[in-house]
Amino acid sequence: MNENTGLAAAPPVETRLVYAHGLAAIVTLLISVLFGFVASVEMFAPDLARGSPWLGWGRLRYDHTQGILFGWLGNAFFAFLYHAVPLLTGRPVTSARLGQWIFGLWNFAVVAPGWVLVLAGFSQPLEWAEFPIVIDVFVVLALVLAIIQFLPPFFWRGLEDLYVSSWYVIGALVFTLLAYPMGNFVPELVPGARGAAFSGLWIHDAIGLYVTPLALAIIYFVIPAATRRPIYSHFLSMLGFWLLFFLYPLNGTHHYVFSVIPMSAQIGAITASALLGVDVIIVVANLLLSLRGAGVFPRDIALRFAAMSTIFYLVVSIQGSVQAQMSVNQVVHFSDWVVGHSHLAMLGFATFAAAGGLAHVWQRIPLAYYNARALEWSYWLLLAGVILMVTDLTIAGLVEARLWQSAAPWLDSVRAAKPYWLVRTGSVIPIGAGFVMLLAGLTTGRRGAGLESVEQTIGLEPVREIAPRIAASTSVSGAA
Amino acid sequence: MNPGRFIRMSYLVASVAGVAFFAMSVALLGIWPGRVLENQTRSMSPPHPLGLSVSEQRGRGIYSREGCAYCHTQQVRYLHSDMLRFGAPTLAWETRFDYPHLWGTRRIGPDLAREGGTHSEDWQFAHLYGPRTLVRDSVMPSYSSLFDGSPDRPRQEARDLVAYLETLGRARELAGPEGEAHARAACNCPNDEMAQMAFHAAALNVNPAKARRQGPVPKLPVEADLARGQELYVHDCASCHGSHGEADGPGARELHPQPANLAGHEYTVDYLGAVLWNGVAGTAMPAWRDLPAVDLAAIAQAVRGLHVAQQEPTLPANIVELGAQVYKDHCVQCHGEHGGGDGSAVGELKMVPADFRGSRPSIAESLRALRNGVEGTQMAPWTEKLSEAELSAVAYYVRSFYLGGQ
Repeated sequence: MNENTGLAAAPPVETRLVYAHGLAAIVTLLISVLFGFVASVEMFAPDLARGSPWLGWGRLRYDHTQGILFGWLGNAFFAFLYHAVPLLTGRPVTSARLGQWIFGLWNFAVVAPGWVLVLAGFSQPLEWAEFPIVIDVFVVLALVLAIIQFLPPFFWRGLEDLYVSSWYVIGALVFTLLAYPMGNFVPELVPGARGAAFSGLWIHDAIGLYVTPLALAIIYFVIPAATRRPIYSHFLSMLGFWLLFFLYPLNGTHHYVFSVIPMSAQIGAITASALLGVDVIIVVANLLLSLRGAGVFPRDIALRFAAMSTIFYLVVSIQGSVQAQMSVNQVVHFSDWVVGHSHLAMLGFATFAAAGGLAHVWQRIPLAYYNARALEWSYWLLLAGVILMVTDLTIAGLVEARLWQSAAPWLDSVRAAKPYWLVRTGSVIPIGAGFVMLLAGLTTGRRGAGLESVEQTIGLEPVREIAPRIAASTSVSGAA
Repeated sequence: MNPGRFIRMSYLVASVAGVAFFAMSVALLGIWPGRVLENQTRSMSPPHPLGLSVSEQRGRGIYSREGCAYCHTQQVRYLHSDMLRFGAPTLAWETRFDYPHLWGTRRIGPDLAREGGTHSEDWQFAHLYGPRTLVRDSVMPSYSSLFDGSPDRPRQEARDLVAYLETLGRARELAGPEGEAHARAACNCPNDEMAQMAFHAAALNVNPAKARRQGPVPKLPVEADLARGQELYVHDCASCHGSHGEADGPGARELHPQPANLAGHEYTVDYLGAVLWNGVAGTAMPAWRDLPAVDLAAIAQAVRGLHVAQQEPTLPANIVELGAQVYKDHCVQCHGEHGGGDGSAVGELKMVPADFRGSRPSIAESLRALRNGVEGTQMAPWTEKLSEAELSAVAYYVRSFYLGGQ
């Protein structure tokens, strides 16, 4: 694929790997949503899986979140990295062959067998770490290979004047590798409360050091690329970046407030959670200022996803800072409020960033199928779905919390939650349809329609950059 | 210093700081708390806490793989709202055998940190097999695949799981008051308000459903809302006692002893109040201390309304005398001189014997118990020992203790 190096402006993008990871992302996304959907139905039809342990609520719940974390977001991030790293560094990723290995490992040694093993009853009862230990070994291996694949271009290029997305990519890959063993191996070796302290760290690091930086890398990448204007302030970018990496890991213990874990650790984590809100305000202010003029709903669909992701990021982070505070935490902890919060983070913030990243990348893959109307539908359906689900679960959480504070029997909180669980399941209609539309947007329509949409929204200038890639890919292989 | 070099240096410093902050998070929020907790565990734990047997360990594996911890926490927080519902907050040493921990972050069902000893074994099996046969509005999945087709045929996996559930809170229960005193002394933290909460809980396990053999019962209000009682009965009682109180609810078949036949008994309000408040220890009948007294009164009213009155024959004096004699010879050790279920042998029995002063069985019920015994209790069938005449006589006689009048 790299014979096009003769064309000076052509960034050597491994288009086939972008394509493979992008499609794997959406396919695993749809499967993960299906797990979540069936689990949500079982909340009010608990006898659905009677007699078939494979479909038990707990196992589906494990597969739902692990599928989102590894299958959907992991693949979407990889697809984005194969596009972004060469553009950010002007150098190819380490090896296309290595890329095939990473793709194979990630999907056929982690996601697929992980799902099957969990359904068969082999798992780990630890949040964001449910795949069994044997799978964790392959995750670590894949992460090491991903570092070998994506980081050398940055170092060959030199680290001065790196754009902020590059920092986020480097940070995410390095720190995910460091944090991963803590949540997946340590609690198996360290018992009870001590293990829980490490678990708490990983629960937050999975979001803070893996999902958030890569989602922000996408947003920081898409905004200037799609608006053709530089980011508002590189100083704020870097300030936000470093504060995020300083503060995020220190949040961990806020998942176990009022536990036996020493109070000073809890208070430290709660303080860091509040400070994190400040950091997010800096980051989001910078992003929104960069978006000024583009509107809340920009015409370019990729940019529109990224813009809404930014807003979700602000809301979910402020919510997180607030709910870590003791007075709030003691009431809403353990309730559906938290489930709403995590969906706002993963389905709102991270998924919108990933979907925007995929759309952006797809527009720039020569001769990729692209269906602008389907993507329009996808955006609005997902937006409606997220708002419906998160509002519903937040109210449900408050209702449960109020009953728990009262003297009412426990079962009253279950009875009161049932209608909200029904609505939550209903929200799968817009969300599922939105994801099907996302798949349709990237697999149907006309070849090359993505490029046209770029032309329409931001003009011909970027198309000139992409033109050599088209020439190269059509001459080398039409198979992309 | 030129700007390029300055920027390079600042990135280097920031990168080092980034790694340092990560290391700091692991040190401050992982390793240091771990050491504190380890020391706490060592000093506050009783010298030989009971760990898990092989079967219990296997049960823990099933609990893990089915995601039980994703609906049931195993961690009572240092909060009054948690303590009022579940009991003493979780101490570090109680979790010393948890590889990995099962604390959980979502509570759809109640916390299970103190589940051991809360429900009877037959309740646990029936509940795992079909949660809604016992708890109508439960949303817990059925784990029928751990059974051979019915709740009274648990496979090894179901036995292991129930064995594990029985261990929850056990170590601290066994440590007893001495263990609490030891932990408190080792903690040596009279001024640490939060730590003190662990020792000042009203009880280790305050699960409102946990049955107890005796205990003070609040006086139920005289006014009772029958309609409310009937509604509560449908939600909370009919699963076992049946919609007409005939002990034929979906959960009834799996329980040993069977639930009481409410249509076949008359009850005094005081008796029902005590049963609702304390449950019936040794049976699957839970306590209902989480319901307000007005609701308990309402349920009592509804239950009394289920009784189906039957014609009462007047008995000749010699039959009454025979009944009294048989009772004195065979029943008094358990059921007590005055039928109050307070005979001298009561302490040895799994389940407190029937209290005939608070409850009056119909003739049919009375005879049924005498002829068949009561499965799951020490009440044996009496057909071998007593003649038909004696059986009938004593069946009538026990009804004479009732204090509730006609």
